[in-house]
Amino acid sequence: MPFITPVFGERMQLKIRPRQLASVAILTGLALAIAACGSYGKGYPNSTFNNTTEFNTAVKSLWDKLLFWGTFVFILVEGILVYTIFRFRRRSDADEPQHVHGNTALEIGWTIAPAVILTFIAIPTVRTIFRTQARAVPNALQVEVVGHQWWWEFRYPQYTTRTPTGRVDTLVTANDLYLPIGRTANFTLRTKDVLHSFWIPQLGGKRDLISNHTNYLWFTPDTSLRTTAFNGSCNEYCGASHANMRFRTFVVTPTEFDGWVQHQLGPAAFAVAPPAPPTPAPADTTRAAGAPTRPASTTPAPVPVTPAVAVAPQPIGYTFPMDSLPNYSSPKTPTPAGLSFPDNITGDAQRGAQQFARSACIGCHTVRGTIAASPIGPNLTHIATRSTIAAGIYPNDAKHLRLWIKNARMMKPGVAMPTLGLGQRDPITGATVSQSLGGLSDQQIADIVAYLQALR
Amino acid sequence: MATVAASPTYAGAESGEQTGLWSWLTTVDHKRIGVLYLYTSLFFFLFGGLEAVLIRAQLSGPNKHLVSAETFNQLFTMHGTTMIFLAVMPLSSAFFNFLIPLQIGARDVAFPRLNAFSYWVYLFGGLFITLPIFFSAAPDGGWFGYAPLTTRQFSQGVNIDFWVLGLQILGISSLAAAFNFITTIINLRAPGMNLMRMPMFTWMAFVVQFLLVLAFPVITIALFFLQFDRFFGTNFYEIGAGGDPLLWQHLFWIFGHPEVYILILPAFGLVSEVLPTNSKKPLFGYPVMVYSGILIGFLGFGVWAHHMFSVGMGPIADTVFGLTTLLIAIPTGVKIFNWIFTMWGGSIRFTTAMKFAIGLVALFTIGGISGVTHASPPADLQQTDTYYIVAHFHYVLFGGSIMGIFAGIYHYFPKMFGRMMSEKLGSWHFWLNFIAMNLTFFPMHFSGMLGMPRRIYTYDAGQGWETFNLLSTIGAFMLVLATAIFVWNFFRSKSSGALAPDNPWDAATLEWSIPSPPPEYNFAEIPLVESRYPLWDLTHPERTSEIPHTHDGWSDQEKAAEAKPVHIEKDRRTAKELGIPMPLPTIKPLFVAAGIVVMLSGLIFIHKEDKTAAAALIGLGAIMIIGFLYAWVTSPLEPDHH
Repeated sequence: MPFITPVFGERMQLKIRPRQLASVAILTGLALAIAACGSYGKGYPNSTFNNTTEFNTAVKSLWDKLLFWGTFVFILVEGILVYTIFRFRRRSDADEPQHVHGNTALEIGWTIAPAVILTFIAIPTVRTIFRTQARAVPNALQVEVVGHQWWWEFRYPQYTTRTPTGRVDTLVTANDLYLPIGRTANFTLRTKDVLHSFWIPQLGGKRDLISNHTNYLWFTPDTSLRTTAFNGSCNEYCGASHANMRFRTFVVTPTEFDGWVQHQLGPAAFAVAPPAPPTPAPADTTRAAGAPTRPASTTPAPVPVTPAVAVAPQPIGYTFPMDSLPNYSSPKTPTPAGLSFPDNITGDAQRGAQQFARSACIGCHTVRGTIAASPIGPNLTHIATRSTIAAGIYPNDAKHLRLWIKNARMMKPGVAMPTLGLGQRDPITGATVSQSLGGLSDQQIADIVAYLQALR
Repeated sequence: MATVAASPTYAGAESGEQTGLWSWLTTVDHKRIGVLYLYTSLFFFLFGGLEAVLIRAQLSGPNKHLVSAETFNQLFTMHGTTMIFLAVMPLSSAFFNFLIPLQIGARDVAFPRLNAFSYWVYLFGGLFITLPIFFSAAPDGGWFGYAPLTTRQFSQGVNIDFWVLGLQILGISSLAAAFNFITTIINLRAPGMNLMRMPMFTWMAFVVQFLLVLAFPVITIALFFLQFDRFFGTNFYEIGAGGDPLLWQHLFWIFGHPEVYILILPAFGLVSEVLPTNSKKPLFGYPVMVYSGILIGFLGFGVWAHHMFSVGMGPIADTVFGLTTLLIAIPTGVKIFNWIFTMWGGSIRFTTAMKFAIGLVALFTIGGISGVTHASPPADLQQTDTYYIVAHFHYVLFGGSIMGIFAGIYHYFPKMFGRMMSEKLGSWHFWLNFIAMNLTFFPMHFSGMLGMPRRIYTYDAGQGWETFNLLSTIGAFMLVLATAIFVWNFFRSKSSGALAPDNPWDAATLEWSIPSPPPEYNFAEIPLVESRYPLWDLTHPERTSEIPHTHDGWSDQEKAAEAKPVHIEKDRRTAKELGIPMPLPTIKPLFVAAGIVVMLSGLIFIHKEDKTAAAALIGLGAIMIIGFLYAWVTSPLEPDHH
């Protein structure tokens, strides 16, 4: 029964054989892989290989063992395989090899050998499981992580403030997580809707947020860390904008953290939106810090709960300086084509405050000390101190805020924030936003953005 | 040695009534059904591949928007669903259908019409779940369909409806086929072929059928809960009513992990045929290969929660499932070593099939090693739901299942179609495929461990992922080229390849004792088996001299007559000439299958104001099922030939 392989049977002279091409490719690939390994951990802002927390240190030490044994097994098995196929390739069709059907000793051997290796992996694995899932230390910083489609709410129940009306408000922020270096952070993980997963590759994780369940995770940013920012993300597929559910983690010194807490607990810069007289044309001066008069307006404006203190205080305390935000933490998402905002409009924070208070905004957002007190969307009390908007996908600046309010749904697929710009088409409902639907003119949007940017 | 003088027509085509479209619609011949499975699943394989290419194109660089978020989510959901349920499983089914009766010396499967029914349910179910993508209404909840995202509250559209119903339909196909093959393997083996003489492919297929029978009911239940939540207002997963999303996860993975072995064991079986044949040696450690296959299948039911280490099950559960997962590496490792030692000391002939088989051993090893790295729960917390996992399971499913299936296609093509595939094109296909596969999936280990989550339609610049993603995308486009070579080779060889002899590879098992392609009746005389390698007993007795030869299972007459064990049929005759009763072709299974799809598609319209469409479809489907099933069971399988 002659067998003819067109490729390997014939000895051709000048002909590229796929096998030769392949060996070149494989060698190149190997070189690239080695190069990649050499640089591993360096220059990769979301690397999981580091010792920034005791959690990651434990995982990395496990990973090192796994990588060692994995590499050992890889070299052993692939080495024997490659040797076998070269050594025992057919030289003549008349070859008649020995007909071994098996070898009990060998087979027992390669059943036991992997079992031994696996034991070397299993023991540290089990120890690490119990160590990392033990109860967090009692004086840990408590952080409640609440997942929403598609943004992160971080609450610090140990830090509260009492409003003039006597309500106790918890320190709450969105998409910016501040952690003090050297103090264990104990996360309580919950979700308002579908499943999400909380992960900061550089620090540790990940732990899923499960509807109708509460999960826990803790780790301690190592004292060797300096003040810096890390990226975090959602890792459980959660719908249209799963990719757009990111956050920033700022590890800061304990002093900076205290300053941050103090600042975040303070009242909003524009604590009260005073009912303003219908202001004509954009004001040529920004009166952000001016003391507004209380106009005798009859507009059914929101009733302030406290006297107007619309003085934008010089921010006290601490906010991570945005100009030192690492490159990997400053979002570069391009704005959608077909969505623009005129450059020549100047916003007025005062008017913006009033506009905000009588727009759809207050249906979902809270600005502490004003009538805006809905828990649905991110809390905006100190929005100007945040590093990003829309869960880490756009920088927190006037340009992006304006576009966002104008047509959020073009900027982030599926988002709950409605399209508000007059004449804009809502990509979800397909409707064009009109005055009666609460549409906002470019001027009104610019005013609101000026207000938001004053909420330091 | 060619016994095939004329250009081979397809098996059974000799008799005039068995040609043309109608004959394919009504066939109950396991070989033709196998070929139908092969074509359909290859089509879906290309379709799923196209979806993958779009995914890779989108991810080739940061912040790219070739497709929208919604489309991307449909693409990755359908890529997974298509490759698992519509490509790899039915590709295995193609081999189950074609090979099992031939390998055990039977004339057909136990229930030929049920077999046709399985195929038609698969085809219609596949179309049902695939076609919505052309209307931007494809399922978009991931192939794993985690609740509560898939409940009506969070997925209002019909997308998930198609997914739930489509998977239910496909489950019917798998279950019907599994019972059929179990019955076939238990009852229809040739005299003398006891269980420990079955070819390794049939053994692995046997294990897989039990996995199907035990795993599919679990996802059926999980899907029924979801179906009732979505259509009839129950609250299994509705979080507002206290539903528990973890119920879905446990049920899904109790199915989902055995499913992994459902996908890989048939490929293991195929490779276990290719390696010994092309090494001129028997399979090393046959009994251990059988036991390790069974053990993998068994342990496969005890590891499901390793998909859930990040859901917070607590240290005890994490420990238990971590350890059972580590255990599964042992029988898998045994298989790898046994394959290598099958080649050791052999005389290795590098046919294309052999290259793919060796490719499986090399690549599956990588997938196995990375699998061990996430069997360790704390380490897995840094890996799960990242591209590292994507890398791992593509080494297992592409490097394992797909490489094994390609080995099977190149190896069995001559038997299926009576012509040889081009070894030259095959070699190009293999090498390109091997390089491209590694180029696509190896960098994903890095992007994953460097923090890139799965299932994201876009990512920002400056995250350290650009290079790895670009490499993966280049690899994916190379895979397109490799696959194009394969498709070209397949169709060119089918029409004008060299005519195939009965046993082109000098193999040892019964399917090679009959003409290529086999006649409709398979074996003119049912062969008698006296050892594990019946054909080598005839052609190379020295290879099998060490293993026991007995006549257990032969009838007394057969023993007394000292019948020649394997009969090599030289002439092509028809079943009629030989007086072999053949099952009658029938269209009824097709209509019953269509009825199931029509009935379930009625549910899609159930939330419409006007219930007419829903009622009409459900009614029509029910009538079709009942009517054609009645006609089916009351009509005889074979012609009355008394």
